[in-house]
Amino acid sequence: MSKVEGTPITKGAIISTKLNTNESIIEFLKKAMDKKVFDAVLVPVRVPAGDSFAYVLIEDKSLLKDAAPLSPIMSVQGAKAISGMTKLGKGNMKIGAVMRPCEIRATVELTKINQTNLENITLISMDCPGVMPISDFLKDPEKSMKIYEDAVKRSDDKIMRPVCQICDKSSMVSGDLHIGTLGAKKGTFFIVSNSQKGNEVMNKLGIELKDNVDDWRNKVQDVFEEKHKKREKSHKDLKAKTTGLDNLINTFSKCINCHNCMKVCPICYCRLCYFDSDKVKHTSEDYLDQAERKGSIRFLPDTLLFHMGRMMHMSLSCVSCGSCEDACPMSIPVAQIFSMVADETQDLFDYVSGRSLDEPIPLVGYKEDELHEMEDAK
Amino acid sequence: MKKDEEFNPKILAFLCNWCSYAGADIAGTSRLQYPPAILPIRVMCSSRVDPLFILRAYLGGADGVLVAGCHPGDCHYQEGNYYTRRRFMMLKKVVEEVGLEPNRFRLSWVSASEGQKYAKVATEFTGKIKEVGKNPAINEIFL
Amino acid sequence: MTKALKINKNIEQGILEFLKLLLKNGKVKGVFTLKKINDEGSIAYSLITEPEELNNAVPFYPLMPVNAGKLLSRFTLKGSTKEPVVAVVKPCELRGFVELIKREQGSLENLFIISSTCGGVYPTNMAVDGTIEKNLSKYWDAVKKAEIPAEIRPACKGCVEFIPYTADITVDLIGKKDIDKQFTMLLNTKKGEELAEVIKGEFLEKDLDKETLDKFRDKRKAEEKKLFEKIDSEMKGISGLVDIFGKCIGCHGCMRVCPICYCKLCEFESPDSEYSPSSYESEVKKRGGVRVPQGVLYYQLGRLTHVGISCVGCGACDDVCPVDIPLATIFKKVGESVQKMFNYIPGKDVDEPLPLVTFEKEEFSEVEK
Repeated sequence: MSKVEGTPITKGAIISTKLNTNESIIEFLKKAMDKKVFDAVLVPVRVPAGDSFAYVLIEDKSLLKDAAPLSPIMSVQGAKAISGMTKLGKGNMKIGAVMRPCEIRATVELTKINQTNLENITLISMDCPGVMPISDFLKDPEKSMKIYEDAVKRSDDKIMRPVCQICDKSSMVSGDLHIGTLGAKKGTFFIVSNSQKGNEVMNKLGIELKDNVDDWRNKVQDVFEEKHKKREKSHKDLKAKTTGLDNLINTFSKCINCHNCMKVCPICYCRLCYFDSDKVKHTSEDYLDQAERKGSIRFLPDTLLFHMGRMMHMSLSCVSCGSCEDACPMSIPVAQIFSMVADETQDLFDYVSGRSLDEPIPLVGYKEDELHEMEDAK
Repeated sequence: MKKDEEFNPKILAFLCNWCSYAGADIAGTSRLQYPPAILPIRVMCSSRVDPLFILRAYLGGADGVLVAGCHPGDCHYQEGNYYTRRRFMMLKKVVEEVGLEPNRFRLSWVSASEGQKYAKVATEFTGKIKEVGKNPAINEIFL
Repeated sequence: MTKALKINKNIEQGILEFLKLLLKNGKVKGVFTLKKINDEGSIAYSLITEPEELNNAVPFYPLMPVNAGKLLSRFTLKGSTKEPVVAVVKPCELRGFVELIKREQGSLENLFIISSTCGGVYPTNMAVDGTIEKNLSKYWDAVKKAEIPAEIRPACKGCVEFIPYTADITVDLIGKKDIDKQFTMLLNTKKGEELAEVIKGEFLEKDLDKETLDKFRDKRKAEEKKLFEKIDSEMKGISGLVDIFGKCIGCHGCMRVCPICYCKLCEFESPDSEYSPSSYESEVKKRGGVRVPQGVLYYQLGRLTHVGISCVGCGACDDVCPVDIPLATIFKKVGESVQKMFNYIPGKDVDEPLPLVTFEKEEFSEVEK
């Protein structure tokens, strides 16, 4: 099994269905609500104007007719939805939340820092084909729906977000349940459980987890290896283009400091970001001093400080979802750069963000005997 | 809702402690009749009412919002109600400009002794809201 | 009639020479203006102290990466500048700065302001693919003829406040066909006259050409009417608002780039706007379903009530929105209505108090019929 998955899952359930993936997941949610396993479900739903999707907490099953668990875009990162709902405590309703693997990983990371309460929430992921950039989708929403469905059918990811195209964790299981479509025979899909909560849900639904899921695991492993190679190459090429001070300055030269990237990032949860705080507000004398030293400074200065500082703050938890790049009004490849750095910082601690709730974030712990190669490095 | 079921509006009323809340009290002790649509909320001064309260109430499904304070010149805190008046007019204009119904909101001056006036305003306003109809915001999911 | 200085140089070279002389003669310690900051043509506001660095400055470039009013406020937030600085900004940026000064977020002391009659700016995404450079000559052709260039920001197309109110110097650009050979700077204040001492030119008594600018204003008014009518047809009732704002992802970029939004912690990011699980659950019971996170319309309508009174119609919100909601048109429309009600023009007069922190004893009698 790949090193990104925790304990390998060997058994699950094979479900027969005459419906497509979206419809199958919706049926599953309906059954769970009928049997009162869930009081409500959290799933992307098409907005009335038809030009976007938003997470909706649904109790009225009739609203599921516009639901799209595999929505073509990720308008709000699912972890933000979960933390928006449960930051102030646990709910009383039993909720089934269907999200992409990266959204669930981000939820796991946020749980580690007390930004969510998962007590009554069952997290359900699926094998993710990626999402389209929002700006591409908005060019023609109706057409984009069809283009997306078509691309998913053909397993073609060229229309997806750049970071989706190099995502090697698109089948990672870190929630409670996972819907497996890879390797499934036509007219079936897999369900596997990753937790006690997941087991209980399947129990209450009367679905036994006794089928062999090797077909799914093997296909997942194949896809992982292929995507992993793609990812390494992409990062190598990107490094050449963006690293070094001059390249960095050029890459971020169009940044207008809107901080959209920070705001939509699920990991950036601080109510008042350091880079919006008083710490970065200086006197006119300070600014003029800086200007005199160099003859001219960008105003406001410290663009690179913001991006590198943000990298330092969140890269250990970065899930490479790509929401930042979608939100950037100046088309800077933020997600690609941040993912590249995140892979390396996480590697340093053998850490994979969101892999498991039991793994603390590396900077809140330490081993007395480690990282000696960092000391007095030549 | 059945077709012949009567529409009983829910109207939130922000009443200032010194004048309009006392006036509403007098209406009650004088046994004056008016429709039971009003849900009163006491504030110390009508200028405590942030336009955001009114927006929240509207988006939460309130069919109408009434803000009542002392007559201009008689504010217990001297100037509060002058600011209320400006803020309220601004809010009404915003609501009108975005295509919502500005007549769901009303500002009224009711002094501590004007029990009759309170009952009259409550009756008038409830009638108006019945005409305007149920607030469709209560059915919206994508708020 | 205003004192003016006619400089017999091409506008691009002439303005740079003027700014360089201001530095060299010690009239100012720094120049704040748009500048090309790399070889790929990225343009950003810069604070320049070295005259040679001005060689890459592009003061009247049709781009507004950030509303400079916000930047000037940041420059003087911790106190007015002790050394004199000159800033070249567009009229709406200046008005934004004045509105911020009224909110104690900056100071004009020791700041010299140069502005111009403004032909508008292009959306920032056109700076990403180099399209602005390709359109530059078409842009200046239109400005010279007092016409509206195609493809500028919608907010600019419909802007009727293209003449700065409080600048020390106004550079006359709109309708001036000969700015390749000469240009005129109106010296509106004593500060402006003081700056003008550094450069050789012809002193005149001159005002802006009323007839040309009135005709131009009519054209802009017509565009504004078109934009407002279009958005009016879509804003019908709550379902109209849900349609327009449905794709809002709550990034709050509009709030962050808005010159008027200065709050350290925005109301809509504060605990007031956090919802408990029980609040979600009661909304779900009431409606059958509720969007998560909730509060999109509350944020948009709430922000309208907060900034409407001071909205200067710059259009920065439009450009930053990742899902292309026509924010600038909506905020301009609502803003102008609210401002009209109080006979208020944001940024016109720094001594005029904000309408909502003052009152008349007798007004708005229509409150109680």
